[in-house]
Amino acid sequence: MADNLPTEFDVVIIGTGLPESILAAACSRSGHRVLHVDSRSYYGGNWASFSFSGLLSWLKEYQQNGDTEEETAAAWQDLIHETEEAIALCKKDETIQHTEVFCYASQNSGDSVHEIGALQKNASSVASSTFTEPLPSAELPEERHSYVTNNEMPAKHASESDSKISVEEGDVEESPEKEKYCGDKTCIHPGSDGDKVENKPIVDDDNNQLKRNVITYHQMVQESRRFNIDLVSKLLYSQGSLIDLLIKSNVSHYAEFKNVTRILAFREGKVEQVPCSRADVFNSKELTMVEKRVLMKFLTFCLDYEQHPGEYQDFQQCLFSEFLKTKKLTPNLQHFILHSIAMTSESSCTTLDGLKATKNFLQCLGRFGNTPFLFPLYGQGEIPQCFCRMCAVFGGIYCLRHTIQCLVVDKESRRCKAVIDRFGQRINADYFIVEDSYLNKETCSDVQYKQISRAVLITDQSILKADSDQQISILIVPPVEPGASSVRVIELCSSTMTCMKDTYLVHLTCESSKTAREDLESVVKKLFTPLTETEVDKEELRKPSLLWALYFNMRDSSGVSRSSYCGLPCNVYVCSGPDSGLGSEHAVKLAETMFQEIFPSEEFCPPPPNPEDIIFDGDDKQADAPGTHTTTVANLESPEESKKLESPLQS
Amino acid sequence: MSMEDYDFLFKIVLIGNAGVGKTCLVRRFTQGLFPPGQGATIGVDFMIKTVEINGEKVKLQIWDTAGQERFRSITQSYYRSANALILTYDITCEESFRCLPEWLREIEQYASNKVITVLVGNKIDLAERREVSQQRAEEFSEAQDMYYLETSAKESDNVEKLFLDLACRLISEARQNTLVNNVSSPLPGEGKSISYLTCCNFN
Ligand SMILES: Cc1cc2nc3c(=O)[nH]c(=O)nc-3n(C[C@H](O)[C@H](O)[C@H](O)COP(=O)(O)OP(=O)(O)OC[C@H]3O[C@@H](n4cnc5c(N)ncnc54)[C@H](O)[C@@H]3O)c2cc1C
Ligand SMILES: Nc1nc2c(ncn2[C@@H]2O[C@H](COP(=O)(O)OP(=O)(O)O)[C@@H](O)[C@H]2O)c(=O)[nH]1
Ligand SMILES: [Mg+2]
Repeated sequence: MADNLPTEFDVVIIGTGLPESILAAACSRSGHRVLHVDSRSYYGGNWASFSFSGLLSWLKEYQQNGDTEEETAAAWQDLIHETEEAIALCKKDETIQHTEVFCYASQNSGDSVHEIGALQKNASSVASSTFTEPLPSAELPEERHSYVTNNEMPAKHASESDSKISVEEGDVEESPEKEKYCGDKTCIHPGSDGDKVENKPIVDDDNNQLKRNVITYHQMVQESRRFNIDLVSKLLYSQGSLIDLLIKSNVSHYAEFKNVTRILAFREGKVEQVPCSRADVFNSKELTMVEKRVLMKFLTFCLDYEQHPGEYQDFQQCLFSEFLKTKKLTPNLQHFILHSIAMTSESSCTTLDGLKATKNFLQCLGRFGNTPFLFPLYGQGEIPQCFCRMCAVFGGIYCLRHTIQCLVVDKESRRCKAVIDRFGQRINADYFIVEDSYLNKETCSDVQYKQISRAVLITDQSILKADSDQQISILIVPPVEPGASSVRVIELCSSTMTCMKDTYLVHLTCESSKTAREDLESVVKKLFTPLTETEVDKEELRKPSLLWALYFNMRDSSGVSRSSYCGLPCNVYVCSGPDSGLGSEHAVKLAETMFQEIFPSEEFCPPPPNPEDIIFDGDDKQADAPGTHTTTVANLESPEESKKLESPLQS
Repeated sequence: MSMEDYDFLFKIVLIGNAGVGKTCLVRRFTQGLFPPGQGATIGVDFMIKTVEINGEKVKLQIWDTAGQERFRSITQSYYRSANALILTYDITCEESFRCLPEWLREIEQYASNKVITVLVGNKIDLAERREVSQQRAEEFSEAQDMYYLETSAKESDNVEKLFLDLACRLISEARQNTLVNNVSSPLPGEGKSISYLTCCNFN
């Protein structure tokens, strides 16, 4: 492992965000020797996803905001020859600003006591027999251990049957799973000593078991790895360029996806589901017969609007919202089409663009499921990693935690010839691809960046309750004032493997005009209430409660043109960080364009040989197979058969 | 109809320090080869071998690290959805054994907690150069609740046994899970996992 990095490459790529990772895969796939490095300890840069604790440490890094502990890096100045000059790279990431964290979930023992009190009031016989008299707060928690044998689903069990819960003073049943899961890091031994602070989480567990769904901060920390919290919130269009690339390159083998299950709209203070498939329209209880007919007629028209120019010719240059008003569509239908289906702006989208967007949406509908969007299991952060794996499979070399100090430029040819890493090692290559955030202040002095406002919320229930609590929803909240940016809300359930059981992970995104909190807080307040203000009595009517919230602004370098970076040699290419769009089309296009610029005659990410097609003969059977087993050495399907054909789900 | 020709499909993932013989173990098992020198095959993502165990066809999809372990840069996504992990060290290399706790930490963080882990000490053909005693490894694996085996990819010692035993355990585990977990079938309206997007009739 104390292995030295090779020093000769064709392409050096700095940064492991999505465009860089796609490029790495493309270059490596094409036979070029690729070195792919990231100065961070994780993949993805601003495209990464984190566990809950991972996100907290990520935050700490930005909040410390002072000088990061300057590693003793080898001095590179002496390594530059006379015929060369150096372009130093940025030492500190400055793409994240205005981070603000709010925790509403119970964090201290005082709260626990309060919770227990509340619980006594309205929770059933389960509690009443054992929770007799309130004890002094410090003592209370430790007296109240209860354990359900399967610690993975405390809340459910509690409501299912009393008998499964043992609430007994001092009697603690710890399941083996529990023990194993905690490992040696966070293991909390509910010992009998009453004054250990570490015991609190256990008590919080109890509360939850009894009082449904009230998750505590400690539980979120304890279940940290259940969370995969995306820094950028995106979906994949089922007919989009990222899906096409994933399929074409076979990178789709490395990930699993779920369909977004619902498109929601927010109108007159209420969240509603938007019917978008034919079946949805017919089954809708909210729409009248007349509305159903008008909507079907309009959507059917949109699918081939080009064939009916008479219908919209006079409105081509008008706003789409004005056009919709002439279509006998009731205001709610107009809202659905404008904001939830076309996802366009009321005040700027033309009729033609609106029709195009509506058609695109409808066309994406049937491919994999009921809505035109997919979400990757374990979060968006998986996608760059999948491309990195593809690069590695074709021989690309990976090195995280590897800082590059400078680019070395040949004075005469004005080409970059090498980089120098933090060990003072020179690494030579023909092409260099650098993510925007690695460039130093001078290089970027003329660059104007946009910003993205983001909020990440952990909540206790869905913004629209339904029969199934495992929904993946997207909601576009139109701006209050015209001209402002609409807010995109994506709510993920635990089966997306991005949040712990009984919680929802909600991502809000918009183009920034102010700080993230200023941009997004009003929408958060409309949709959620802080946990502490939740009225327990009105269980049915209440809005979802906020357990935890994070706001931050992220740099959006997607619109920056190459020429605005000063003094970069022609063989240094810049990849942008994430943009604010819903899909990842920008990143894919950037990678493809750049690849074609560098290697004009080569194919971009062609399909690799399918591993399933590698056929081994049945002849080299090993003689030493143990008695109980018969070994048949792989007799694989023919290539045709191994591609299961599965017709896309029709809407 | 399109039900494939196997009863079980398992994803097995190899991890451990570079040079301990992971690639050789996979090649030995799937192709019956022991490649001299560097064994990494460019462009091969995972190897497949279908074995028959008590009359049932078990398809093993065996994933190698693609060399990303060399500079400690394995992607988290590599661990996702693995049914079993083969954690390998080299019995002639103390360092590769000392790194095991670090690998276990990574497993705990990224792999499913239902994953079966097997500890493998490879290169037993080099007995004269052994640095890690069998007893030490046994104690370690016991403490970590892992199954333990020593192999030689070169001499084909225990390689077959490693994968076949693993397949057996995976089968019995899978059986138990379907008995216990009948509830976990997808709820109506729940999104569908599309593990192989290539399946769709586009392309
Ligand atoms: C909200 C909404 C979303 C839709 N999304 C999709 C989609 O994602 N993918 C998709 O393929 N279709 C989509 N459609 C179109 C709709 O599903 C079609 O009408 C359907 O494919 C025709 O099947 P049918 O026999 O059930 O309908 P019927 O109404 O019984 O159709 C009768 C015949 O008319 C023809 N026809 C009717 N409508 C259309 C149309 N729009 N385009 C072409 N021919 C038509 C069909 O060939 C059909 O044989 C959508 C429609 C709506 C209202
Ligand atoms: N003697 C011996 N050498 C082995 C054995 N397995 C692998 N090797 C050698 O160890 C080196 C590294 O093997 P490789 O499979 O590439 O290791 P990986 O990095 O873990 O994939 C190669 O030189 C192999 O020839 C074994 O069982 N015995
Ligand atoms: Mg290898």
